[in-house]
Amino acid sequence: MREEYLLAALRMGAGADPVPEGVSAAARAVFRLRVPGGVPAGPVDLAAPPGARSSPATDASSGTSPGTSPGTDAAAGEPGAAGAGDESWRPGAGDGRDNPAHVRRFSAAGLVIDLETTITGGRMEVAGQVSPAPGPDARIEVRTPHVGKVRALSETGHFAVTGLPPGWVSVVCHRPGRPPVFTRWLRVRP
Amino acid sequence: MPTDDSFATIDQAGWEDLVARFDGRMWAVARAFGLSAADAADAVQCAWLRLVESAGAIRDPARIGAWLVTTTRHEAARLSRRARGEVISDLDVPDTAQPDPTAAVVDADFGRQAWRRLDLLGEPCRSLIRLYVLHPEARYAQIAVRLDLPVGSIGPTRARCMSRLRALMEEPE
Repeated sequence: MREEYLLAALRMGAGADPVPEGVSAAARAVFRLRVPGGVPAGPVDLAAPPGARSSPATDASSGTSPGTSPGTDAAAGEPGAAGAGDESWRPGAGDGRDNPAHVRRFSAAGLVIDLETTITGGRMEVAGQVSPAPGPDARIEVRTPHVGKVRALSETGHFAVTGLPPGWVSVVCHRPGRPPVFTRWLRVRP
Repeated sequence: MPTDDSFATIDQAGWEDLVARFDGRMWAVARAFGLSAADAADAVQCAWLRLVESAGAIRDPARIGAWLVTTTRHEAARLSRRARGEVISDLDVPDTAQPDPTAAVVDADFGRQAWRRLDLLGEPCRSLIRLYVLHPEARYAQIAVRLDLPVGSIGPTRARCMSRLRALMEEPE
């Protein structure tokens, strides 16, 4: 018997420290985060993180700003939305952010999704790239348990979302006529 | 509660039934690692999110409860190590097919039985475990002051007392 299980049982037996209602409510709300028919993209080792915002193949030439593309949700075009082709900042650089960037790669169904997360001013930023670029009708949905933001992708498959609450985050790539692909949930805290 | 083969089609009511049955156990396991309320909430949330993303891989819905508790313990252990300054992977996901069957002891009835057995232990075990259980964020220095014991003895004494209690719990009542 694991010691932690015995301790937990003792705490339950004493009626001490019951689960807060907010934790239960959050658990109930997770149900709506299912992606029916979706394909889970598992993590892939990334020996040399490319930096989603600093790739040589950024969309500086495309002129597309993922945060302001048509068809996005009400949060699209919000002030401060990071452009995917922003070359002024590179992962891990000392630029005043609360912590260094973390880059992770996921893969499934022939897609590679690179994610770069940072916490800036207490808010989470997520930038990334879908490879190969899935086309103009694809949409990317960056989700936390509390909010989801939909973005169109640049011609090179880049996207960026800012102003999210820190915590758990997952990204879903929606492609017309094909199953959505979603990343595993990541915990992003300062 | 979903039945065999039904987990992929679980509805909101079935999901809420799962939450009602297991979230208290999951919370208790997370807090047993001494996590703060915020970190414990993240550990519990992790298990629910892993369940959502792994729904297609659930082969035995009857073991979902054990899997939820196991996954919470896994995440709580990671966050506990992180709180101690260790560098940990953020994508170390437990095997969906391998819930820990011993997770079934995380239960209020089992806990009440354990409190009765605890009374069979002498001091300082009774007081030390009581403090340790009811005040999971208490530091050894605080427990040492309360029990008038050398701070260096708290860890070894706690381990010895918990070992004795576990042995008692494995004997017939």
